This record gives sequence, structure tokens and C-alpha cells, in this order.
Amino acid sequence: MLDVAAVVADVRRGMIPAHVYNDPEIFALERDRLFSRAWVFLAHESEIPEPGDYVVRRVLADSFIVARDEDGTVRAMFNMCLHRGMQVCRAEMGNASHFRCPYHAWTYRNDGRLVGLPFHVDAYGGEDGFAKEGQSLLPAPALDVHQGLIFISLDPDAPPLRDHLGDFAFYLDLYARQSPAGLELRGPQRWRIKANWKIGAENFAGDSYHTPHTHASVVDIGLFREPKANKRKEGALYTAGPGAGTTYKLPPGDLTTRLRHVGYPDEMITRMRGAWTRAQRGLVENDGFMISAATLFPNLSLVHNWPKIDDSGTVVPFISLRQWQPVSANETEVLSWFAVDAAAPEPFKRDSYKAYVMCFGSSGMFEQDDVENWVSITDVAAGTMARRLNLNSRMGLTSAGKPLKPPLAGFSGPGTAYQGFGEFNQRHWLSMWGDHLLRPPPVHTSADMGAAR
Amino acid sequence: MTGTTETNTANVNVPLRYTDPDHQDAHQFLVEEAATLDRQDFAGWLRLLAEDIRYVMPVRVTTARGAGFDSLADMGHFDEDMYALRKRVERFGTQHAWTEDPPSRTRRLVTNVRTFRTGHGELRVESYLLLFRSRGDTRDHDLLSAGRADILRPAPDGHRLARREITVDESVLRTQNLALFL
Ligand code: FES
Ligand SMILES: [Fe+2]
Repeated sequence: MLDVAAVVADVRRGMIPAHVYNDPEIFALERDRLFSRAWVFLAHESEIPEPGDYVVRRVLADSFIVARDEDGTVRAMFNMCLHRGMQVCRAEMGNASHFRCPYHAWTYRNDGRLVGLPFHVDAYGGEDGFAKEGQSLLPAPALDVHQGLIFISLDPDAPPLRDHLGDFAFYLDLYARQSPAGLELRGPQRWRIKANWKIGAENFAGDSYHTPHTHASVVDIGLFREPKANKRKEGALYTAGPGAGTTYKLPPGDLTTRLRHVGYPDEMITRMRGAWTRAQRGLVENDGFMISAATLFPNLSLVHNWPKIDDSGTVVPFISLRQWQPVSANETEVLSWFAVDAAAPEPFKRDSYKAYVMCFGSSGMFEQDDVENWVSITDVAAGTMARRLNLNSRMGLTSAGKPLKPPLAGFSGPGTAYQGFGEFNQRHWLSMWGDHLLRPPPVHTSADMGAAR
Repeated sequence: MTGTTETNTANVNVPLRYTDPDHQDAHQFLVEEAATLDRQDFAGWLRLLAEDIRYVMPVRVTTARGAGFDSLADMGHFDEDMYALRKRVERFGTQHAWTEDPPSRTRRLVTNVRTFRTGHGELRVESYLLLFRSRGDTRDHDLLSAGRADILRPAPDGHRLARREITVDESVLRTQNLALFL
């Protein structure tokens, strides 16, 4: 029998009971207490630019139609017919003014409203038997958008998204707002890995320590210069609000020089200069740090790297968003998008896409080795011995639990930052995870469909 | 969100007869290529490719019948030129490509080969591929099912693969990564 309080207490000491990476009881708690409450990323507005555009996305087993209605409003609707529960949309993307249920032909507009109910009078006696007026597919209990990123929460009492994002918005916007145009997303590539969803989320939050070794091959072949151990440990790790991330230290120079170093053309640099706040510019210009990987709790990660995309050594940066969609305790669906500033010139978009496909995603040369590790961890976390092993996640702390060195003074970004290797960020992520596991599930009410009012 | 036209529509032209030497050359090329990849002779595989190769594998998506597309025009699992393919091969040659060390056991079953002459002396070759992949001793095997449309260009010593478009049959791949070639 799982003692969740003991597990969380161990986690708070930086000792991670290994079985949490493959344990159906833990997974059930994550479903009922974490994903029933947290703000979860579903889609980006650029994926559904036109009225009627939709994508279908899930939060664990719950399927949602994310659609832009005829007025341009973005909605997320539970993809379950109000009548007998059929999925009213079985495509994953498209454009539709209406969704007609295949079972008995109830019909919903793309804003979710029930507009067609065959034989309403014959079968139900009209409104008295089934009150059709005002019925619609169940909306996501909470929906909010930040920089085009559409999030939902299954908790109707979720705090406003912007409050939840807090200080992490500073870093998120460095990826998501390189110009007022914001990002456009392509994809996602989707594939399933036999790995627990937490491992990727923690890794992207702060595991700069794995980069020199796990990704040694991409340095060997000259694809990406930066992961060498000495360079990697000069980077800063930050925690801020519900997020955490890693950075690389750039060579000396002003904002323009440093953004050129990672491959941005001057016209994009001009827009970044205008779109970023003084403090955001300061992170690059004064502190010399460039964002790399990050995770927004619970399961949205971002990455920004700048590999060489041709034999003449042209360096081009790319951004990827990825979601670790839990399937079970030992399986995760990865959704990996290529993202680029919508205002970027076409040649940059083309080259940045090439950089992405080489490095990340289903065939990416970084991602290949990451996933091999995560599958292996999950495989061996299932057994009896894993229940006797508390993994050490205390990097960067003394035995007394104090940081080995003080936080970076004068760091331009909000939150707390440390230079060098450490597992501050993973502990930060796991601490939020523990908070959720100890809270009872949110209260909810059930909606009766069409019953007498 | 943009899509290409539906990719699962077979070429309606009449292929070369199986007795045609061009068809036989094309079929043999594909079988030898599969053997080269299954024995992990990646350098040998690169020698089968034209310098200007385009090697693409669009993301397949589930769309309504009549939507007019079932793959993404602007996102692939692969979208490679010779530089990118060489880098991938070079990586497998390092001591640090953990994902394939120990290597997968693979078997590429190549069938349903249809060959068409194009106007430029090149051959267009369509084939079915079923790739069996086994890793370690505790995991289930993976299967990748795909159609391929290739352009083979004549060379003094045989043919070179100048273009390959891989139409994978899953929208969500059930393999941990594409640390392999299809
Ligand atoms: S289940 Fe949808 S109309 Fe009956
Ligand atoms: Fe990694």
C-alpha cells in the first residue's frame, strides 16, 4: 500500500524513491490530484488560425476539441456527445462549421452549441423531455491563453493562468515573443515511448549535467559546439514560478553580437530588442546567458539550441515545444512542435526547421539518446529493488541542505539562479509534484444533460 | 496547419512488367539497400545516395475523409539533405551514440515493388516496407509500416537514390525514436 506522505517527504529531502518512475498507484494519484487541477498546455493559436479550424488534443484520457468558432473565439470542448457519449470528432485536425455525432446525428456548432437533435418532438416531446436550448458540449472547466499558448485546467476554480505562470512568464516570453507577431507552430510529431512522463519533464527543467555525456556524440560530429562539459557548467540554472530552465553562457559581446552568435539575422534581432523588456535583454546583454531547455510544470517543455546546419558551418537557432503526455505509469506520448517567430524571414524559417529536425523530435540526434535513457530508467523502476532505492537528487547541496554556492547575484531574471551544475530545478519541479500529490482532488459537480429544469 | 494531398492513393499509371530489366534493377537495388541497412553498413548506404538527395517522411495525421490531406506539408519526421544524412551516419560511428549501442536488431521486408519510367531517364519506384525492430531483452518489438516512393537515377555502376518520400502508416509512431533509416 502506497504511503504517499512518506514518498513526498523523501522527495523533499532530495531523495527520490525510484519506483515513482513506474508505479501504477503513483500514476493514479497524478491523474486524480495533479492533472485534475493543473494548467495543462493543449495547443497554440497558430495551429487553428481560421474560423472553423480545430485540433483534437488530450489531457490523459480526456479528449478535447480545440476549435476557433465563427467569431474567432477559441474554445476547448470535451469530445463526448451529450446523448450516449460518442466522440463527436474523430479526426485530429481539420476545419468544420459543425460536428455531427456519428451515432444518432446530434449536431453541434463549432462553438459547442447543440443545434440539431433528430425527432426532438417525436422522441422527447420537445423541450419538455429534453431541454435542448442552451445545451452545449461540456466546455473545459477553465481555459486561458498566454502568448497564443492555449492552456486548460480541469479545475473550475483554477487561478487565472497569468497568476499561475508568475515569474516564469519572463522566461516563457523569451521563447514565445521574439516579436509582437509571436510564435507559429508546426507539427506536432507524435510518438510513444516506454518511459514515465516525469523523466522528460525533469530533464528539460534543469539537467545540464547530462548534456556533456548523453549528447557527447553531437559534439563529436561538430553539430553543436556548446554541450562540452566546461561550457555547460558555465550556464545558469533558474527556477521561477511554476517553471525552471537551463541556459548557456555566451562569449563576450553586446546584445546584437550575442544574438548573432547563436545565428539570428539582424532583422530578427531588431524585433527582439523591441519586444523584450530591459530585464529580458539584460539576461543576454549583461549576464551573457542564452535560454536553452525549460519546463513549465507539469508537462510542457521548451528547447532553444543553435546547431550547424551545413558543411560551411552556418549556425541557426531553433525553438521546440514539447509535451510529455502521460499514457500510463510506463508510457508517454511525446508531442513535439517546431516553433518559430511568425515574423521571421522565410529563409530563416526554412533553416531553423532543418536545425530542429536534425536535433529534436522523433528522429532528432539529441532526442534519440535522451529517450533511450528514459526508457531504460522506467524499465528497471518497476521492480522490488527499486522500492528499496532512494535516488540522490541533491546535487548542489551540502549535507546540511545548504547550496554549495550562493545564488547568482545581480541575475537579470526573476526567481533564483545558480551557475554550474545542480539539481535545484528538478527538486523545484518535484516539490510542486509533491504538493499536488498531497492535496485532495478538486471538488466538482456533475452536469445533467437536458433533464427537467 | 497545411496538408498535402492524400498520400495513400496509389499511382494509377501502369507499372513496368516484372520481366522488364529496369524493374528488375530497381527491385534488386531496394533489396540490396535493405540488406545494407540491416547489417548496419551505414557508410555503404550513403554510397547508394545521390549527392543532391531529398529524404523526407511527412507526419501523417488523422483527418476526415474529404479533408483533402492526411499528412503535414510542413512537418516531417525526416526532412533531410546529404549533410543531415551524413551527420546522422557520422554520429552512429562515434563511441557515444547510446541509443543504438547495443544496436537494435532490424529486418526490413521490402515488397510490392512497382517501377515506372519517368521522362528523364530516371525510375520512379514504389515499395512497401515493414521494419521489424527488436531492442534488448525486456521490451516488445516495434513495427514500422510505410510506403516509399523513390527516384532512382542511373549511374555508371548502378543507380543512386535521388529522392525518397516515406509515407508512414501511423500518426503516432510506436517506436522510441527514428535512430534508423527507412
Ligand atoms: S451518442 Fe451522439 S447522438 Fe447519440
Ligand atoms: Fe538531453
